[in-house]
Amino acid sequence: MLPNWLTTTEAYEPPKGGGTFAIKTMRSFGHMMGRLQFQQGHEKRHALPALVKFFLLVLAIVFLSWTHQLVALLAYAAVLLLYLSTWPPQDIWKVLRGALIAVVFSGILLAPAMMLRPEGIPNNLQLVCKVFLTVMMVSIFNHTTQWNHITGALRKLHVPGVVIFTLDLTLKYIVILGRFIYDVLTSYSLRAVGNHRKKYKSVGGVMGITFIRGANMSQEMYEAMRCRGFTDDYRGL
Amino acid sequence: MHIPENYLSPVTCGVMTVAMVPVWAHAIKKVKVELPKEKLPLVGVGAAFSFLAMMFNVPLVGGTTGHAVGGTLIALLFGPNAACLAVSVALLLQAVIFGDGGILAFGANCFNMAFILPYVGYAIYSMIVKRFGSEKASVHYIAAAIGSYIGINVAAFAAAVEFGVQPLLFKDSLGNALYCPYDLSVSIPAMMIPHLAVAGFVEAIFTVVVFAFVRKTAPDLLFENIKTGATEAKSHIPVFALIAVLVAATPLGLLATGTAWGEWGSDEIADVVTNGSALGYTPSGLENGWSLDVIMPDYAMEGMNEVVAYILSAIIGVALLVIIFKLASLLVKEKKVSNVA
Repeated sequence: MLPNWLTTTEAYEPPKGGGTFAIKTMRSFGHMMGRLQFQQGHEKRHALPALVKFFLLVLAIVFLSWTHQLVALLAYAAVLLLYLSTWPPQDIWKVLRGALIAVVFSGILLAPAMMLRPEGIPNNLQLVCKVFLTVMMVSIFNHTTQWNHITGALRKLHVPGVVIFTLDLTLKYIVILGRFIYDVLTSYSLRAVGNHRKKYKSVGGVMGITFIRGANMSQEMYEAMRCRGFTDDYRGL
Repeated sequence: MHIPENYLSPVTCGVMTVAMVPVWAHAIKKVKVELPKEKLPLVGVGAAFSFLAMMFNVPLVGGTTGHAVGGTLIALLFGPNAACLAVSVALLLQAVIFGDGGILAFGANCFNMAFILPYVGYAIYSMIVKRFGSEKASVHYIAAAIGSYIGINVAAFAAAVEFGVQPLLFKDSLGNALYCPYDLSVSIPAMMIPHLAVAGFVEAIFTVVVFAFVRKTAPDLLFENIKTGATEAKSHIPVFALIAVLVAATPLGLLATGTAWGEWGSDEIADVVTNGSALGYTPSGLENGWSLDVIMPDYAMEGMNEVVAYILSAIIGVALLVIIFKLASLLVKEKKVSNVA
């Protein structure tokens, strides 16, 4: 038999407001950060070395911005789009999304000039095309190259080890701290049913905990690295 | 058959676009049911065939040029609804990137080539196949030929009517037409004779050849088999090889040098001779109308090798169409293969 108080239906609705927005935003932000996966390019087994690719990318972008030959623009578009069309749909979308946002943005900037058609300025989309192709090249590079290979390539270009070390760690810890924030806020919201009045107070607490946790982690990692023989010379992952 | 910018009045363009909206909505709804998710990227391949077909200009009687559309072909491969969407997307690319067909006239062009053509072609094809039985391959080929021939001619007729009503409805104070200057008595024969005599046959040959090729090499791409789910998926390498061959062959379309009827630029139209007399004026709507300087007018650019430009255009068009339909397949939710009875 169930006790009586269990069988009655309760109509408890916690009143709204009180920092829910901040909590929700932080939580989804943490969730997004935790989902960032810099290490997951779909690199093929016989891919070009990242350094070579990086050089080619820079060269291609410089040439694209410099050239006035429309045939070059066309050839770029043909090669890139043909390559992209062989990819699986999800990956195509990831690459195109960034490029399309850039196109929309530059399109809005150029729209007045295209509507008014002043003399001497061609009313075509050449600039927008260049933006599209450039962003597409960068995101194809990004997508086909693992992040640690990119930093490895930067190392070979004699970028100081400290910079690369910071980059590598930042990218790793964005994900770790993102997951941490998400977990903290999930446990908070599970425990805080009905405790609605002063939610905004907990925002500071969560950030504080995250900061302390981050500081601890960095200390622990430094010690762990010293124990493994780290000599302040970093060569990339 | 691409109606350029400013040949139709903005009112006509608006009406045609509004007319297309329910058609597109219906097609999208139907395609989601008819085609399994994994087949959707392949509609892009169909659209690529259509795009390439429209690049092969053939010289027609009377110094103009024309081309196949391939709408019936896509209808045979993926059903008329998918064909409607595929040809619409191909037309959009042509209008926005290559300046073939106007952006304002997009609705009208879709009405002719993406709505009338595939639905009429497919209806005639399935009527004939139903009447004479679907066992023999030859019945299919003959039905495809007749369907595509009639389809493109009905579409050309619709385009001719759209051209022809312009001078009746829109005139300036001098009695000169504002937009297309030729009325029905000129536009219908001018469109229909070349299409009945040449372009229809080109369309029929293109349709049958590609249809037969796909039937032999990749039967899982045929609409009749998709509907019943009869065949296993095969490698589509031969189909892509055919597309590559077509891309490489597109410069043949350059051999036909004339301008298609009803597709003159505003600098050309005053000198066009009809029934022994030149028009003598440039309709003001054509001269002053809005138009976008697209990146690659007529699939080429100034100071560029035409052959190279044509091949590159073909590659870009095909790749974009495949990408667009691959992305479209992301929007469709996963579902069981439904047999549409």
